[in-house]
Amino acid sequence: MTATDKFGHLDTPLEASSSPALKFEVYARCSTTKARASKMHLPHYTAHTPMFMPVGTMGSIKGITTKQLEALDCHVILGNTYHLGSRPGPELLEKAGGLHKFMAWDRGLLTDSGGFQMVSLLKLANITEEGVEFENPHDGQKMMLTPEMSIGLQNAIGADIMMQLDDVVSSLTTGPRVEEAMWRSVRWLDRSIKAHKRPTEQNLFPIVQGGLDIELRTKSAQELVKRDSPGYAIGGLSGGEAKGSFWRMVSLSTDILPTNKPRYCMGVGYAEDLVVCSALGVDMYDCVFPTRTARFGNALVRTGSMSLKQGRYTSDLEPIDKNCDCPTCAKYTRAYLHTTATKETTGCHLITVHNIAFQMRLMLDIRQAIVEDRYPAFIREFMRIRFGKTVPMWIVDALKSVNVDLTVPDSSGYSAEPVADDFQKVPNTWTDE
Amino acid sequence: MALRFELAGAKASGLAAPRRGRLVLHRLVGKDAGVERPAIVLETPAFFKYTRHGLQPHLVPEVAAEVDALPPATRVQIEDFFDSDAPDCSRFEEGLHKFIALDTAEILMLDTLDPTISVRTAKPANTYMAIGSEAGTKRLTPDLFAQLANSLKPDIVIPLADIVEEPLPSLTQGKRISKSVTRSAKWLDECTAALTYPAAVFAPVVGSHSLELRTMAAKALAARHDIAGYAFNDVCLTLPMEQKLNLVQHSLELLDASKPRYMLGASAPDSVLCAVLRGIDLFDSSYPYAVTELGLASTYVLGSDGPAKPLPYSLDLWQDAMFADFGPLVEGCTCFTCRSHHRSYVHHLLKTKEMLATVLLQIHNMHWYQRFFDDIRRSLEQGTLPADAALFLQRYNCKEKPFSELDTLAAQACSPTTKIQRKRHAESQKP
Repeated sequence: MTATDKFGHLDTPLEASSSPALKFEVYARCSTTKARASKMHLPHYTAHTPMFMPVGTMGSIKGITTKQLEALDCHVILGNTYHLGSRPGPELLEKAGGLHKFMAWDRGLLTDSGGFQMVSLLKLANITEEGVEFENPHDGQKMMLTPEMSIGLQNAIGADIMMQLDDVVSSLTTGPRVEEAMWRSVRWLDRSIKAHKRPTEQNLFPIVQGGLDIELRTKSAQELVKRDSPGYAIGGLSGGEAKGSFWRMVSLSTDILPTNKPRYCMGVGYAEDLVVCSALGVDMYDCVFPTRTARFGNALVRTGSMSLKQGRYTSDLEPIDKNCDCPTCAKYTRAYLHTTATKETTGCHLITVHNIAFQMRLMLDIRQAIVEDRYPAFIREFMRIRFGKTVPMWIVDALKSVNVDLTVPDSSGYSAEPVADDFQKVPNTWTDE
Repeated sequence: MALRFELAGAKASGLAAPRRGRLVLHRLVGKDAGVERPAIVLETPAFFKYTRHGLQPHLVPEVAAEVDALPPATRVQIEDFFDSDAPDCSRFEEGLHKFIALDTAEILMLDTLDPTISVRTAKPANTYMAIGSEAGTKRLTPDLFAQLANSLKPDIVIPLADIVEEPLPSLTQGKRISKSVTRSAKWLDECTAALTYPAAVFAPVVGSHSLELRTMAAKALAARHDIAGYAFNDVCLTLPMEQKLNLVQHSLELLDASKPRYMLGASAPDSVLCAVLRGIDLFDSSYPYAVTELGLASTYVLGSDGPAKPLPYSLDLWQDAMFADFGPLVEGCTCFTCRSHHRSYVHHLLKTKEMLATVLLQIHNMHWYQRFFDDIRRSLEQGTLPADAALFLQRYNCKEKPFSELDTLAAQACSPTTKIQRKRHAESQKP
């Protein structure tokens, strides 16, 4: 099903950056929004951005072979350092020649720092200047994850992109703790850079922090830019905060981060978020949502999510999406998926394949629209299909900030009315799968 | 429907002897009507691919395609489609091939119950077979089965029968078996009468452990001309395989020897060999599925070379020794899993309950099972099967300890990556 991007023919980048293990080339810029289409040359693969990266916490995307992932046109996938560090552990991964070899994946890999799991999964995590102190779930012993240890683990895993250990606070936290965490994350970045043993083979991305505070986030981004890293992540968001704050923090960050380097917005995966954030100048995303929701019987479509367990699909002989070119839509009807979804693991795999294909197709369409400089029209069409007349306020506001006004009718006559609802009842920061 | 069964060599007989043959299907109606199509050929002894909801366990079609040379034959049990009520026929307007996305170049067999589930609580009555569903017990009548078959358009049907559910002969009174024989005969009549689609009918051969009643049932079947084959799905569950085969043999001697014979619950390699030696032609791939569920990779080999002393017939990927073993599951194996991945990775996937573990194991185990059947057919052609089978049974010490993976499915199948069956497995492995 692999469709190729339309910037294969472009050979002169508009701007670029080069570091020992990453070359980033911007090939097209939207003339209206902050969106751009780029190539990111990694040690294992040249990824095209904006891109979505499926999450393979334990060294596999749930039930999907690496050969399928290639056929689905995945460029980079995620592994979780905390999980891989405990099982199979860094010694074995080193012995196996790194995670790429261990799982037989030849394309790009990205690992998180493990810090998020420390805080989210483990009770009694205690953060000190030294690192994150936590109780080992196996023997109850006190243990410590320091920035140096996180980098050590990630060096053993050998992913193309590593993340710094940051001091994670909930996006709902306010007060001095946010500032403390922001500055500590900067100090931990410096320790991480010093500890990084394989700078010519792996890239270390810092993470912009600062909660929902404009000043703190600005300061954080400015500090990180001074470190001249190969790329940057925007973190501490997608934790259940108001979407109005979310997009402002993203946009503020992309305004400060260098335009010739990749920007990665962590934990984002809803289709509308991908379209909006790409307009704000983000290049990379990850989220467990598409694969996790598949296992609950939900198939992603441009209009939203289709809960195939519902009785209305009992005799529906259409595919999930007749325009989708994934192997599942080529063969199966909704009625069939209704009978297998959630009952058979194989039925879940069918929907997982579709959902990954959906994300990849969406990102491909976004890239094409940017390259052909019709991204604003693409956004309008996308929002019309997804929301119809009533579009969440935060989307209207975010797009207005990049010169796309959904409330003004376009040539097709479409215009939107903003509604206050965020359309996001649950936080979508699930970084492990 | 033109389903032919051709036996190679000697004239068909009811005596206990292995047979090499082929099942040849030429569809004359439905989707193939008026279309010149090559016949579908299934070389026997063969297995039908076991499916759940029409899908091979763990394998979506593009992954199943990684397994080379699988037989063009698939079995589906209608009970999978009893979600909350009887399946709605409108779902199957274009037939079951289309609904489950099965290639039309596959022989599709429609059965009633899942052969891997042997413990059942729902009780049948005079007029229906009981099917347990999410919404309680559902009734499958002969008429409903025929209606479903008419819209599903399978190539082969195994009509419903009243299977004696008690696992032990001692628990089963003669009256229960007698009732089963009477009901099954009546249901078969009703089913065939209401069947308008020309599917080949494989009749259940019943009678449980009563020789007298088996005789009665077999004689009645032998007199019928509308039966294309036989399905042995009513032999006492917990009897040793040789005793089960004796019961099968008793019926076989009375039945039309030119017709194909499918035996359920005999898919373990040692059982397959014993059954083939008694003249069984068809099996299903429940066994590799059971192996996969336990986190094992098959390693058994049929052939005259190799050591005669007992060897393990599977590799336990759960064991700690796999942790840093970067070899393939089986050295020299050409399956997708062995070409792409090593034991250490599969071990890690099992330990972390990743669903890819069972995907990779199922690919290997199906590849291995297919190869095993290839070996059986070759051995039969060369006339060495009795000796090869004897060596196999000795090599893997089957007399003392039969292949038992299928038993683990008996009390409801559970995947090591979904519900933990590890404890039971560990207990079963204790000496």
